[in-house]
Amino acid sequence: MNGKELDTRIRKAADALPVVSPALLTSITAGLKPAMRPVKPLAPTWVLATRLFLAAAGVAFVSAASAGLAGVESLGILRATVILAALALLLGLAATEQVHSMIPGSRHLLGPLPLVLSCCLALAALFAAEFHDYRTTSFVASGIACLIAGLERAIPAGILVWLLMRRGFAINPVAAGATAGAVAGLAGVVFLELHCTNFETLHILAWHTAVLPASAVLGAAAGALAWAASRLRTRSPIR
Amino acid sequence: MNSYQAGDFAAATALIEELSPRLHRFFAAQSVSRRDADDLLQETWMRIHRVRHTWRTGDPLLPWLFAIARRVRIDHYRKSLRTTAREEQVESISELGVPASASAGKGEWEALLAPLPPAQREVIAMLKVAEMTLEEVARATSSTVGAVKQKAHRGYETLRVRLSAMGLGKDRKGGTA
Repeated sequence: MNGKELDTRIRKAADALPVVSPALLTSITAGLKPAMRPVKPLAPTWVLATRLFLAAAGVAFVSAASAGLAGVESLGILRATVILAALALLLGLAATEQVHSMIPGSRHLLGPLPLVLSCCLALAALFAAEFHDYRTTSFVASGIACLIAGLERAIPAGILVWLLMRRGFAINPVAAGATAGAVAGLAGVVFLELHCTNFETLHILAWHTAVLPASAVLGAAAGALAWAASRLRTRSPIR
Repeated sequence: MNSYQAGDFAAATALIEELSPRLHRFFAAQSVSRRDADDLLQETWMRIHRVRHTWRTGDPLLPWLFAIARRVRIDHYRKSLRTTAREEQVESISELGVPASASAGKGEWEALLAPLPPAQREVIAMLKVAEMTLEEVARATSSTVGAVKQKAHRGYETLRVRLSAMGLGKDRKGGTA
């Protein structure tokens, strides 16, 4: 059997599938009639992504300004420029992916897992290239403090991302939550780079980078909870 | 779609009448009963109505529509898993209350695509039943064109081997009779 014959057979079988009844269509249209009102379409992807980028970067810079910019001041202009430019690039990528995850039928650049993994790898490579102090002093204690501080800034950034994208529709709420968590996590990493003065390579590699996957996991959990809650309160208007 | 977003009921009716047959056949091709396909169609339009603002002028309509339909089907599948997990199975009760005509017309499709895994079956349903392009299927399934091509190719290969084997079986029967 060649491809054309198989194609014909599949189409023939598809043609024999049951057809939708006119009564059902009438019921659907009648159900929608009372709910008809104009809606404003979502803004273009680049506008939404720019808003997300500015919101996440804004949270990072405002919280770093209030906590102190000692980290970026100690980095030096060249190193600070390289690190912040790379973080801006990753934040832009994550923000664009977040917009795609909230619009059905969008073309995805990366899924949430490849996004988080590639961002973590890029951050690890960047930090390994820029920091060369291989001592470890109070690795766990100072590391946990940085992780908590990064997540404390990621949470408001995540809430802001959710507020900005609340009109979107997540086809996969867990994946969309993880992507939103990645955007928020990057805001936490930016905050740490601006604020933290511990330049030990292992500290930055392990604990600063860890903010991103931790925030993505929290985002995925929030997405799963939001999905479960929406399932509980959804009631069909079509009868 | 623009008129539908602007609140034009006639445009909504036209859209429902034009796209529902494709959506219904897509659901019917996914191993669900006629009644479930009807319910899924209703649920899909309810959800489309709720998120109609997420379609932007210039975006392709079918991937947007089928991404929502696919999500509805997945939610329905998970819900039915939760429900059936709590049910006590009684033999021969499954078809009670379902009219004899409910599964009519599905026989050939079911028989043909039965050996395929759900992902390949879904891709073939989108390509052949909903008549979407590879790019549209990739967008609707949050996948890539390459992955869709691969699934369709593997599905076709499985079907070709199976149908050829069935044809060979007939020849052998004919030879021994």
